[in-house]
Amino acid sequence: MRTFAWLMCGGLALGCGGRPSAWDTSFSPADGKSGVSAAYGLTGSVAVVDRGLNRVSLLRSPSALELSAQSFALGQGLATAKLAFDRKTLFVLSRGVQPQRNPGDEPPKVTLLDGDSTFKIKQTYTLNDPLDQLALDPENEWAVVYGGSGLVVNENELVFIDLKKTGDDAVTFKTLRSFGQNPDRLTFTSALSISGADTRRFLIVERDSDLALVDLTNPGGDEVTVPLPRADNGGPGGSAQVVYGQGDDSVGSVIAVRITGSTSVLLLQLGAPTSSDQSFSVVTNLVDVGGFPSTIDLVHTSQGLRLMALVGTNAVLVDPRTAVSQVAQMPAPFNGIRRITSALDPAAAATDTDIALLYGTSTTQIAYFKLDVGTDAIDRLIDTSEIGVAVQSVIDVPGEAFHDRKILATPSHDFYVLDLGKRQTSPMKTTNGLTLEVAPDGGRVWAYQPGTPGFATVAFATLHPVSLVAERNVSSVFDIQAANGARSAIALHFGDGYQGGIGATVVDVAAPSTATARFFSGFELGGIQ
Amino acid sequence: MAVRYSHRALLASALLLVSGAASAEPLGSHQPHIEASLGARVSKVSSAGYDPFAESDELVQLSLGLGATAFRAGPLSIAGVAFWDYGGHSAQARGQATSLTSQRLSVGPELRYHLLTPLYVFAHVLPAFAYTEASLDDDVAQATLYARHWSYGLDAAAGAAYELYGRRSGESVQPRLWAMAEGGYGYLGSTHLRLAPDASSHAPERTASVDLGSLSLAGPYARVSIAVSF
Repeated sequence: MRTFAWLMCGGLALGCGGRPSAWDTSFSPADGKSGVSAAYGLTGSVAVVDRGLNRVSLLRSPSALELSAQSFALGQGLATAKLAFDRKTLFVLSRGVQPQRNPGDEPPKVTLLDGDSTFKIKQTYTLNDPLDQLALDPENEWAVVYGGSGLVVNENELVFIDLKKTGDDAVTFKTLRSFGQNPDRLTFTSALSISGADTRRFLIVERDSDLALVDLTNPGGDEVTVPLPRADNGGPGGSAQVVYGQGDDSVGSVIAVRITGSTSVLLLQLGAPTSSDQSFSVVTNLVDVGGFPSTIDLVHTSQGLRLMALVGTNAVLVDPRTAVSQVAQMPAPFNGIRRITSALDPAAAATDTDIALLYGTSTTQIAYFKLDVGTDAIDRLIDTSEIGVAVQSVIDVPGEAFHDRKILATPSHDFYVLDLGKRQTSPMKTTNGLTLEVAPDGGRVWAYQPGTPGFATVAFATLHPVSLVAERNVSSVFDIQAANGARSAIALHFGDGYQGGIGATVVDVAAPSTATARFFSGFELGGIQ
Repeated sequence: MAVRYSHRALLASALLLVSGAASAEPLGSHQPHIEASLGARVSKVSSAGYDPFAESDELVQLSLGLGATAFRAGPLSIAGVAFWDYGGHSAQARGQATSLTSQRLSVGPELRYHLLTPLYVFAHVLPAFAYTEASLDDDVAQATLYARHWSYGLDAAAGAAYELYGRRSGESVQPRLWAMAEGGYGYLGSTHLRLAPDASSHAPERTASVDLGSLSLAGPYARVSIAVSF
């Protein structure tokens, strides 16, 4: 019959045509292993990556129980994708057509997709070489692309993208002076004051054997490279952690580096330029904290900026100017620090005396350390609380409504909601280990176990959990703002074996219930031309 | 130029001659009183809404036809004809099974003109009604979703019929066998494909429809058939 049909088509010159090859490309979600996750939760939408078609389907909620989708081409050869820190924009790095054969072949590029209000590709920056890694600035001023995959790779090259600019003017190529190798980690500082110079921001580049400071007021200018000290056993010392802080005028800005295998912490004090060709200078100081620190931070005490290092059951406070240290005996071997000063009081000034939350993976206690260290008995400033479970990490709650709440993720199945104001923890028992997703508006947390139909929400206002069971297995849950101002929870489904398509159960956040939830599917079939 | 004109004149003379020949003797039962046909219709559907259901643009349908001559004037006749075309296509849309079936009923007058006793040409413009069922085996909903709709349009075509078998005499009332071919354009209004599960399916509660855009089965078509006339 088919042959007959073709004969008829040919004979009558009807010119039977085909269909876009996209229809023959099965949907399969990204697995997250190669720098691209299956889905990203933005403030007003959920971006589902469709690797087969090199596109993203943006799911939006026109009203509480509605869902619609629009697809955007992202470019070929997706390398990585990251959410902006404010979760309004999705940054996608693509390699383009490689190798390039024709002038019209798609080049490598960074695509910015607005998932908050306009829901469109708001900017594209073209690169001239395929790169693999992307670092984003928490203040949304810069993006840095690095880690090439071409035939010849300059491991020390960073491509700075000024997000306030468009076109080629936005892109600056910079090669770091080569003492170390491929950048391991990039950290954007906030604005730091430099004595005798304007306030500026820095990019801290951690490499295997050194650390580079790039002045973001002139990223193309010369960077300052600081070799890392060796480990205590004489082996190469690597950077395990970098923190930065802003002291008063006498201290200025300080960067602290925890060195692997070393009882010392490297302090970099940023000061006034010492020559006309400099925009700042760096004074290095290696301070011994008396043991291998599990973590460090720069905190504001009543005496000024201090390096705080947790070493066993000691909290060591070091004056970065004099290297004089104070030791506070901790009741437990805490290995995590979270400054909670602004969480307790959003109006607190940056230089106000900090309160630090101490936690650890080998203790069932947490502690509040008020850094009012003008007393000799600083041990007594550590106020402990037994919660009965170790804490793996502390998850912030965004927004203003519940600024004084934190979520304590534990190695067990349970998680805890911590009210910093009342110093009260509320355990949330679960039957399985759950993935947590805090709503961008800070009103609630969603918990789910990928691959099962169950998911739950806990509103911070009431701490009342609502458990829901979708009719299909859930891969992830996101909480987005609907166009009419309502909020919708989107539980994504990808079909059995994660090979089917894009489906979602939509729940009204105001009254979460599967009795009213709606099921959507087939989004992978939209937008094919 | 002169040669071209002389060719046209010769062709016109020949047509007049055969027309005359056809009208010289009564056509009798060569001019079908009642006719039933069985054949195939192939349409080219270029609508993007057809892509999820077919890897190519052709739509092949079984075609059954009925006709009855209502008016005769020499070689010219007018018949009432009706066609029922049934067929469909199935495919995979991004790995999920799809199918589309269409039934099309077209009814109306057909103008016929016998060029020769065993050969007539015809043309018709027929109002058409189509019922289409599209389905998608949704792997995520784990259910089959359907969209069913009616659409309306016109089939305009011209063709020829040649008598393959039959008694020479027009007086004979024995059946006659015809080969027919026609080509034309079938217009059908477009409809929006929103596929939803049937009430009896195991789809999740309140499953929203899957929007596959607009589908129009309009397009050029060809039909070949074998007909029996009395």
